[in-house]
Amino acid sequence: MQARRTPTQNHLLAALPAAELMRLAPHLEPVPLPLGAVIYESGGAQDYVYFPASGIVSLLYVMNDGSAAEIAVVGNEGMVGVALFMGGGTTPSRAVVQSAGRAWRLDAARIKAEFARGGALQRLLLRYTQALITQMTQTAVCNRHHVLEQQLCRWLLLSLDRLPSNRLVMTQQLIANMLGVRHEGVTEAAGRLQAEGLIDYRRGRIRVLDRAKLEKRVCECYGVVRRECDRLFAPAPALVAALAA
Amino acid sequence: MAAAIQNSLLAALPRKSYLRLAPGLAPVELVFGEVLYEAGDPIRDVYFPTQSLVSLLTVVEGHLALEVGMVGREGMVGVPLVLGADVSPVRALVQGAGPALKMDAQRFRNELNASPPLQREVQRYIYAMMVQISQTAGCNRFHVVEARLARWLLMTRDRMRSGHFRMTHEFLSHMLGVRRVGVTEAASALQRRKLIEYSRGSINILDDRGLEAACCSCYQVVNGMHETAAA
Repeated sequence: MQARRTPTQNHLLAALPAAELMRLAPHLEPVPLPLGAVIYESGGAQDYVYFPASGIVSLLYVMNDGSAAEIAVVGNEGMVGVALFMGGGTTPSRAVVQSAGRAWRLDAARIKAEFARGGALQRLLLRYTQALITQMTQTAVCNRHHVLEQQLCRWLLLSLDRLPSNRLVMTQQLIANMLGVRHEGVTEAAGRLQAEGLIDYRRGRIRVLDRAKLEKRVCECYGVVRRECDRLFAPAPALVAALAA
Repeated sequence: MAAAIQNSLLAALPRKSYLRLAPGLAPVELVFGEVLYEAGDPIRDVYFPTQSLVSLLTVVEGHLALEVGMVGREGMVGVPLVLGADVSPVRALVQGAGPALKMDAQRFRNELNASPPLQREVQRYIYAMMVQISQTAGCNRFHVVEARLARWLLMTRDRMRSGHFRMTHEFLSHMLGVRRVGVTEAASALQRRKLIEYSRGSINILDDRGLEAACCSCYQVVNGMHETAAA
């Protein structure tokens, strides 16, 4: 049996008024997001924007020497390709699928035209951009001020929020690459969380056993990002009034 | 308007759009150390620096934690308004005294709605700013304090158009998110190499080329972005 697929699995698309979503729908193309796939390469052209229905895309900032660090994660709450409608050219960031899933994609010309119309899609994408800026800012702060173990907790919780279960398929090397730290550091931090019964980690699979404890252990950066994201989808008073009228 | 438009975001607007906007822009003098918004404050005005410099600082656990953005004549302060938020998530602190143009938030919103060219310029600027934030995240992860201090001094110089400015250790430690002793060490190292002169809260860049060589690649990246955005 094939699972029902609808664009509304993505929260941004789901938040659009019916008329706007119907206008977009014929142009939304369902595509798989295979684990490890590079959606955009640093400095490369961006031909589409992606609205994930499931899975996680990691945005990495790539330094001149090739080293990279994750600056944000995007799941079905968001979209990948902000540069296209914000008028940015090529960018020093790479978008990689960190957890396999599916997405709806829209070509560059279409998203630019739709964004330029103004209306609900533009407002929603701008608000999402603000949420993304908050996430990037918090990542910068977290990289500077918090110990690796807290960063790992933040990363696990942000990932879990974007996944349907408490399981993550992820090697320590990949986590190290995402966080921009050494593999040994991740092993140590994950080992401590495992010893205390917060996670179970074996052969590239992480199972979160005690989410409440993980939330106690994490730095405030997680909460800041989470609240900003919740705010994005809180019904605006004007919208509520319009619906009630 | 006889004088050249000194804020490059405004200067990039078509003349007609700029003339429409101009009556709402009030010239103000920003004072060193002045807080334009606290984190969590409503944004009542937006600012377009002309010869001043504003730092955007995050607050963590009640303390200033890190500078995540620097706004000078290339940009504007009050970006969340454009993105549909009316509260500032960061503290906006005047770091370089000087003139700016100020506009009431409501008026700016109206102008923005009425002017697609203004929307385009502001959005491009916001994107460049996002690159600056992600670069800060990457830079904080990978680069040593000395290289980051050198980058920060150059970014300040570019926006102030002067290699001489006031700056305390305390302030620099918030900017870079390191302890004061870390700032002292990095600044002394740059001073020993005769790249800067630093005494009693006053910095003088002595060797621009040398400082450019001492800073990390992030400086070129962010510079490139703003040049693209302003092109």
